Amino acid sequence: MSTEPIIEVIHLKKSFGKNQVMTNFNLTVVRGENVVVLGRSGCGKSVLIKCIVGLLPYDEGSIRIFGKEICTLPKQELDQLRARIGFVFQSSALYDSMTVGENLEFPLIRHQKDKSKSEIQRMVQETLANVGLAHAINLMPAELSGGMRKRIGLARALVLKPEIILYDEPTTGLDPITAKEISQLMLQLQRTYNTTSIIISHDMNCSRLTANRMCVMIDGINHAEGTFESLSTSLDTKVNSFFEQTQA
Amino acid sequence: MSPFSLNVSKIFRSSWNNFFEEVGATAQFAADFSKQLFFPPYETKETIKQCYEIGYRSFPLVAITSFIIGLVLTLQSRPTLIEFGAEAWLPSMVGISIIREIGPVITALICAGKIGSSIGAELGSMRVTEQIDAMEVSGTNPFKYIAVTRMIATTLMVPVLVVLGDAIALYGSYLAVNLKSTITLKLYFNQVFESSDFSDAIPSIIKSYFFGFAIGLTGCYKGYNSRKGTEGVGRSANSAVVVSSLLIFIIDLIAVQITEFLGLI
Repeated sequence: MSTEPIIEVIHLKKSFGKNQVMTNFNLTVVRGENVVVLGRSGCGKSVLIKCIVGLLPYDEGSIRIFGKEICTLPKQELDQLRARIGFVFQSSALYDSMTVGENLEFPLIRHQKDKSKSEIQRMVQETLANVGLAHAINLMPAELSGGMRKRIGLARALVLKPEIILYDEPTTGLDPITAKEISQLMLQLQRTYNTTSIIISHDMNCSRLTANRMCVMIDGINHAEGTFESLSTSLDTKVNSFFEQTQA
Repeated sequence: MSPFSLNVSKIFRSSWNNFFEEVGATAQFAADFSKQLFFPPYETKETIKQCYEIGYRSFPLVAITSFIIGLVLTLQSRPTLIEFGAEAWLPSMVGISIIREIGPVITALICAGKIGSSIGAELGSMRVTEQIDAMEVSGTNPFKYIAVTRMIATTLMVPVLVVLGDAIALYGSYLAVNLKSTITLKLYFNQVFESSDFSDAIPSIIKSYFFGFAIGLTGCYKGYNSRKGTEGVGRSANSAVVVSSLLIFIIDLIAVQITEFLGLI
């Protein structure tokens, strides 16, 4: 793993009205690293990755992706940068009115204008095959199961071959077997595509499988950081409470 | 001042503020539309798809309603005209009523119900299921792809539906006349077009563009800014219909003042 920082979050502050979700959050992710961000529901984990990708503005601090400050980038440059970032939404956020194939074609048509229709088709089929759903190309999102939707969401995030992937609770709402399959798929895809990831998760099994490093967000700050093993044996009760279920 | 009247004045002031905030935000939305309209990328394929969805798919409902309106209007007007010995004026009277007023307003109200609610609900559900966010992170301008295309489609398709609706309503009226007496189709339409001219048709077609724009604007604004989950989606669809129906009447009121001022009535 290189030491080149890809994502740098420095003294980040974000509030919604009087509710301050991030008070002074810091995080650096290096190339090829998988960082899991752990925290209680509503503590601002999803807000963090939405700020990283420029979906939400932040109040103070700095976010740098590939050395570029997100909040000062002009729209066109931000869109170019976003093409290098894949985002897997909690709800998968597949476009209801499009087939699975069209969902994957959508970003390709916009970002790879030099590609012919047959090349785009080939890329879509290749990405779907990588998530094990090549047969689902003509299905509508409403016809997919929860696990399939997650895989297609993952495929859509990967279709542009991004360098960074941001996962927003990728295994939430899935049964343990499917959740494990998704976690293994994430690992496998990380090796295939050589991506850097931030994974927002409550799922300790997913975290154990995927994390190179974990960060515990409490009270709007990066309360603790370390590997799964070091954090699970932490004496800090706030940190340890997240691991109690797995230890039981 | 009693606590009750203080409370009432506070509620009144807050609703008044909300109203003006909403008007301002809608105007900003319309300004964004005009800004985005002239800059590439032009989402031509999506605009054509929306024209098909909005225009073609609404046609059966508009056709049935217009036919019934033409038929009923003729049957209801006939006894009164007979009383005044003016039965021969029936095609002219019904024709002018349909072309000038009833055709555009009824068609626009039907479109507000069908198109406005469907746009409001569709965009609202796209917002709450993060599909709009997904579009944005994929480097697409969701406002242009979702809102601008639909607003163009409603602005272009409502006048087409109005013209078709007018024609069908006149045909319904012709059938109604034939239920009680006999008249040829050619004579009926001769009488209709002899008594009306371009100054009847053009203002009503022009105002139909504004009706279409108002329906698209309200539906897209309400859906695009939908919040609070599924409850918000329902509210968006509902308020899209209510506000666009109200706007149709306001535009109609302004249009009639302008045509009168220009001496076209």
